Amino acid sequence: MGGLTIIVPVKAAVPNVTAVRLDPVTHNLVREGVPLMLNPYDRNALEFALRLKDKYGGKVITISMAPPSGKDFLESTIGMGADEAYLITDRAFAGADTLATSYTIAKSVQKLFPDFDLLVFGEETTDSTTAHMPAQVASWLNLPYVYYAVDAEVKLEDRLILVTRYLEDEGVYETYEYKMPIIVSVYKNSNPPRDVSLVRKVEAKINGLVKSIDNNALKLERECIGLRGSPTIVAKIEDAKPIERKKQIFKGDPKEAAKWLLDNLIKEGVVKP
Amino acid sequence: MGLKFDVTVVGAGPAGLTAAQQLASKGFKVLVIERGKKPGSKNVFGGRIYAHVLDKLYPEYVKEAPVERWVRRERITMMTEDSWTTLDFETTKVEHRSFTAYLTNFVEWLDKKAESAGAVVVSEVPVDKLIIKDGKVVGVRAGNDEIYSDVTIIAEGINRLVLERSGLAPKLSPELVALGVKEVIKLSREEINERFNLDDDEGMAWVLAGYPTHYLPGGAFIYTNKEAITLGIVLYLSYGYQLDIPINELIEEFRLHPMIKRIVKGGQLLEYSAHLTPVAGVNASPPSLYGDGYLVTGDAAGFLLHLGIIIRGVDFAMESGRLAAEAVVKAHDSGKYDKESLSIYGKLLEESFVLRELKTFRNAHKVLIEPRLYSDYVRMINTMLKRYFEVDGTPRKLGSTLLETKGNLTLLDLAKDAIRVVMNL
Amino acid sequence: MSLERKIPIEERLNTNAWDVDQRPHIRIIDPDQCRKCDKKPCLYLCPARCYTPGPDGTVLFSHEGCLECGTCRIVCPENNIEWNYPKSGFGVQYRFG
Repeated sequence: MGGLTIIVPVKAAVPNVTAVRLDPVTHNLVREGVPLMLNPYDRNALEFALRLKDKYGGKVITISMAPPSGKDFLESTIGMGADEAYLITDRAFAGADTLATSYTIAKSVQKLFPDFDLLVFGEETTDSTTAHMPAQVASWLNLPYVYYAVDAEVKLEDRLILVTRYLEDEGVYETYEYKMPIIVSVYKNSNPPRDVSLVRKVEAKINGLVKSIDNNALKLERECIGLRGSPTIVAKIEDAKPIERKKQIFKGDPKEAAKWLLDNLIKEGVVKP
Repeated sequence: MGLKFDVTVVGAGPAGLTAAQQLASKGFKVLVIERGKKPGSKNVFGGRIYAHVLDKLYPEYVKEAPVERWVRRERITMMTEDSWTTLDFETTKVEHRSFTAYLTNFVEWLDKKAESAGAVVVSEVPVDKLIIKDGKVVGVRAGNDEIYSDVTIIAEGINRLVLERSGLAPKLSPELVALGVKEVIKLSREEINERFNLDDDEGMAWVLAGYPTHYLPGGAFIYTNKEAITLGIVLYLSYGYQLDIPINELIEEFRLHPMIKRIVKGGQLLEYSAHLTPVAGVNASPPSLYGDGYLVTGDAAGFLLHLGIIIRGVDFAMESGRLAAEAVVKAHDSGKYDKESLSIYGKLLEESFVLRELKTFRNAHKVLIEPRLYSDYVRMINTMLKRYFEVDGTPRKLGSTLLETKGNLTLLDLAKDAIRVVMNL
Repeated sequence: MSLERKIPIEERLNTNAWDVDQRPHIRIIDPDQCRKCDKKPCLYLCPARCYTPGPDGTVLFSHEGCLECGTCRIVCPENNIEWNYPKSGFGVQYRFG
């Protein structure tokens, strides 16, 4: 038994959106000087995967479609404990929307690791927050998809996995059983990530654990990748204007406060008497 | 025993990366460990680099280094609430002596140099402490991981936690450091050129004293970059206790001073940062700059020359890194990395500008910490000139105006302080 | 934002790039010590205002806006601050340092 083969697709994100400005003319993100880092929620996904590896053996492989500079944040995943990392990088992949990206990830995983057991995603990215990727990859690969996962147990001999998911709004846990392989996305407030290890970071560098692959090797359909494979059109970007609030504060008896609030809301036409 | 390198460098800043590049290019197996997400992401400085060390190390820097502007204009201002007196130095020749820069970018550039020389630079890992066996430093520890090496170069910066935790330096005290708080403000190239009377690649370095720190020892600075200015205040921490408003408001009061307000008009804040800086030179050095299996460089060694008007950190850091590398090579040739073999580092420092200049200005901080310089004198000169220029029919000579405005200062104070400043700076 | 006015510290910190750890890297060791401390230099010398007055003379600390300068550790008269650098590259990400 070789244990589990777990693939964790990851993405670079800008650290916090407030530090990024929009170019007033082109409306593009001004990425100048903004350091790319591992999407924070992908760390929780990686932790989820590493815990399964710790328990059941096998290996954890991270994969990302990114420009060559993506090597740095993939080294972080090795630092956390991934066994190896693959950087899918080619000009042909540039300009991809979520559809073309999910195609690239799905087909790359299929080609590179046909025998994988789990594809583990973060819940969403902090900078674009679409959460499209795991569902779209599940669709390309025609595999089951479970999201908001917080924990899992595996029966290796039967290739079965029991995934526990947490539904935040309801405050309930559910457990589902699947035959592997499946696609999992991990609840963002679970599985706090482990620290980056010095030895692993050194090994990532000296043993070249981050490998780059281009489309000459992958041979993915040109029509389905990059800008050509991306039907999304950004028609317009608008800055949301901050709403001026009236900021009135009532001090005093709670009953009177409630009455005062209601009177004012009626006066403003927010509620009808 | 795990991983082993010839040399481990703690900290990928100007000192550490220079040492690493020098050693890697001579065939040493070098590891640099950085706590930031990438080299440069935790570095902050005022804004200017003196280029003389680069002539030796990287002569190609004029084309390659991330230079913002070459300093052609220097200003020193004594500032009160409502007036200021400025000494303004300009030269028509841009002599490539010093340039403004972002330390983040500059360190990234040094990192490329070190990595292309063959050094292994890993980031995202703070080193916790040194591994010391039988009194000899044999490696570093970070979390549960250990890495061994023949010699460790400590370039961890001003907050020398590794040295402290390893028992090699006492805790920093407020007298040894100043706090710098900085705002990076975006302005257009044209606005900067116009407001500071500069051409495209020309820069200005400006220090101000008095009002910016509410007359406490310290000062303010403004440096021009290509499309931003950096504006900051520096406060000697031993006087921090006397501050009458929070430090984050102090920098705002400076920015909102009527004279400064017009300079930053229409600007946009890009970043708000803070960092400590050594102000006591060799007086802040750890008890020993080298020992069995280790060397100390850069800010961690107190290698920053602070003369109030001239502040030099990066060139001292880089030179000390270069000399540490030279010492390691020499010790390697002798076959030992014990304290005796590494003592060559001390000699090299003494012969270089690092210790020659720091020792020349050994007492500078004792003069600069004199509160009168930032309060009485700043007020006096402004009041004196104001009176002198106020023409109201009363005959005034400079000398008598001085006597009128010197306030509580005695002539003896003036003379003594003048001598102290002249002798020590 | 216009610079010709006072800018709340939170707004200024928001212009920075961050990757904040959930776990604080700095800790007040003994809240009672703060109660006895009359100067409380942390309150006005921390450039990010991470230290704020708490109930009964205590001091509250939040690590999120920490600029990692080290001032609090050095000025605390009681040596009452346990100070570390954030792990794994967390914390402030300077772009214009």
